[in-house]
Amino acid sequence: MRIEVRLYATLRRYALSAAEGVFNVDVPEGGKAADVIASLGVNVDEVHILMINGVSSPLDQVLAEGDRLGLFPAIGGG
Amino acid sequence: MAREDSLALLARGEIPERYQRNIGTIGIDGQKRLLKARVAIVGAGGLGGTIIELLARQGVGFMRIIDGDSFTPHNLNRQILATERTMGMNKAAVATARVAKVNSDVETHAVPVMFNEDNAVELLSGMDVIVDALDSINYRLLLCRMAQKLKIPLVHAAIAGFTGQVGTILPTGPGLEKLYKTTISSEKGIETVLGNPAATPALAAAIQAQEVVKVLTGMGETLSHKLLYFDTELNIYELFDLG
Repeated sequence: MRIEVRLYATLRRYALSAAEGVFNVDVPEGGKAADVIASLGVNVDEVHILMINGVSSPLDQVLAEGDRLGLFPAIGGG
Repeated sequence: MAREDSLALLARGEIPERYQRNIGTIGIDGQKRLLKARVAIVGAGGLGGTIIELLARQGVGFMRIIDGDSFTPHNLNRQILATERTMGMNKAAVATARVAKVNSDVETHAVPVMFNEDNAVELLSGMDVIVDALDSINYRLLLCRMAQKLKIPLVHAAIAGFTGQVGTILPTGPGLEKLYKTTISSEKGIETVLGNPAATPALAAAIQAQEVVKVLTGMGETLSHKLLYFDTELNIYELFDLG
């Protein structure tokens, strides 16, 4: 199945294509968000916010065809 | 004019001239609610300075401003209260002096110490809204836990580079643990790489100030259970659901 990955801010450097950090990846059936993060070589310690279809979700959430997976680093400045 | 005088006028349906341009937006009842409200602003730096300025002009009646830090030259690029004259001065004290110049209706209480676990209950109790304008992730998480424990809404924002995030945390809703890993070893985020430029904190702070107005007046839809994320480099403005 195919999902869309959206990488934000400093995580965009892990993007497979497109400078904006938005691209599609193929994921085996039953694949989880954590599997995609690992396959992209993203350091999971840098991922603080994880959104699937715009909803805060856990690393072990199983993905479905067409899901949008958004990954965000920690923003802490004031 | 003192706050009581403004409230007396509003009670008679008359509008103090200084609030004339607020009334079309929030109404006389909304202005009365703001003047009677008590807000704690935790941090008087890039976010806090602008929030304090906006809430003073909007007419929030009481602000407790908590910051143990003093202004240094690297604050000058973005912190509205940092001027060449305020270098070395305590941020909460400078904020209080600024509010006195802007709106004598507003009572302020400067707390020139850092927010921490020991002073949290004393400083936050009795507030109607708490504003997270800190720059430390660990202390943001502590502030959120305390706000939820005290059952006081918390308006959060954080910035780095061109990016920022804003959300309102309610006592019973999801907290900042949805935005930050609680096992984080560093107290800072990607702002250590991307910096803190001039406009980004002002943008986040303006949205925070508007959230405070909405929470206090009951108007509109707040960002409760939500996260507004922006990246002005790529014109991204997205609203997420924190569950």
